[in-house]
Amino acid sequence: MLALVAGCGSDGGEPLTVYAASSLTAVFEQLAPDARFNFAGSDELATQLREGAQADVYAAASPRYPGELHEEGIVDEPIVFATNRLVMVVPAGNPSGIRELDDLAAADVRLVIGGEGVPIGDYTRELLARAGRPDVLERVVSEEEDVKGVLAKVAVGEADAGFVYTTDVRAAGGDVEGIELPSELQRPIEYPAAVVREAERGEEAQRFVELLRSPRGRAALRAAGFGLP
Amino acid sequence: MRSPFGLLLAGATTLAAAFLALPLVALFLRIPPGVLLDQLSSDVAREALVVSLKTSAGAHIIVLLVGTPVAYLLGTRVFRGRGLLIGLVELPLVLPPAVAGIALLAAFGNRGLLGGSLEAFGVSLPFTQAAVVVAIVFVSSPFYIRQAAASFAAVDPLLLDASRTLGRGPGRTFLRVALPLAAGGLAAGSSLAFARGLGEFGATIIFAGSFAGVTRTAPLAIYAELDRDFDVAVALGALLVVFSIAVMAIMTLLLSWTRSSSRSPFPFASSISDSTSA
Repeated sequence: MLALVAGCGSDGGEPLTVYAASSLTAVFEQLAPDARFNFAGSDELATQLREGAQADVYAAASPRYPGELHEEGIVDEPIVFATNRLVMVVPAGNPSGIRELDDLAAADVRLVIGGEGVPIGDYTRELLARAGRPDVLERVVSEEEDVKGVLAKVAVGEADAGFVYTTDVRAAGGDVEGIELPSELQRPIEYPAAVVREAERGEEAQRFVELLRSPRGRAALRAAGFGLP
Repeated sequence: MRSPFGLLLAGATTLAAAFLALPLVALFLRIPPGVLLDQLSSDVAREALVVSLKTSAGAHIIVLLVGTPVAYLLGTRVFRGRGLLIGLVELPLVLPPAVAGIALLAAFGNRGLLGGSLEAFGVSLPFTQAAVVVAIVFVSSPFYIRQAAASFAAVDPLLLDASRTLGRGPGRTFLRVALPLAAGGLAAGSSLAFARGLGEFGATIIFAGSFAGVTRTAPLAIYAELDRDFDVAVALGALLVVFSIAVMAIMTLLLSWTRSSSRSPFPFASSISDSTSA
């Protein structure tokens, strides 16, 4: 089966086209090196699919958009293949000395989060509400369109802190430091994948989704820092 | 025009015109006009337009105040390094806006070259409205300076010399002769720069970030609303199209006005140019 997935595109046709959340970049490229990927914010990808983009698989960082697209008849039933956690990030060396959520409330903190409607932004707001610290939102200086935006502003040291997925901290290398957040504030962040109903390569798409739940897929996801359902 | 070549020209022109007009027309057909107007009065759209107008106006004042003397120098004086300076001034025209954004961060960011010095004065640019202004000045100033320098260069040097020989200092000559004669061209460049500034996206989102009511200009709001409320994005887009068309119209008017007015705003001036051309 792996050979089949790895070999897609070798028959001379178009390669399998996968629309996936930015946070899946490294692990997906490793799992299916021959596929064609479009990595972006899950919400942005959903908009593109609604506008008729040609894709075979849609993998999102939130159940919301695959669920909506499923109801609209654009994708098949989504299947959860991974989970993620929120983590606070600070620039390497933690110049502002931020250790926990409460430190964010200090007046001079520049916080960057995801915008409303962007999964990372919605999860962040949820977590702050659950922690009883919605006041921290007053420190927000920029609302980014995806995780990449948040991570970049922290990595270059313009922002003092931000919220991203735990897998992003690994992906960013040494430019940022992750600060774990209490489990009781978190709810599992589910990553569902779905085959696009009008996929040109429906069978391969199905195999890709199965690959994600296979031992090899699970091992790669775990190595990248994802949780498993 | 019946020759094959004539047909080719007509065909290419028709194709180009259709290709350029179609997306703009499609934008207006995407949602009904009523919805479009509704969306423009939404909080998101209003907030973004206010930020855009404030920052664009602020940036524009800086561009005019600093750009005009620079353009006068470039347009009327020959000196060593002039070519290099022109290249430098015009570089942002061809620089990808995203590069401008990173470059601004590298220079004025909190960890940038001047970040420490700025911080000593208690100034931190990124994520502020001032950062949006800086980004807009950086990308839009060449549009003004270029046109303004050309307009100053087009002023008959004999008129400037005459003004000087009649006892006006260089400052007064600039104010009373060069500036009025170049006014139409300056205004045209000014509107072009303003329009470019209003559309600024790449440098702003990288250098200033995106926060509603502070740094989220209309183009940034279009991007933010794309996946949230497509109608708002379309409505803002349509408004910017209308604005762009207005700028083009004003510019054409101003340029044609310069051409006719540079002949005769000052009877004295025109008599000199008439006598020299005769």
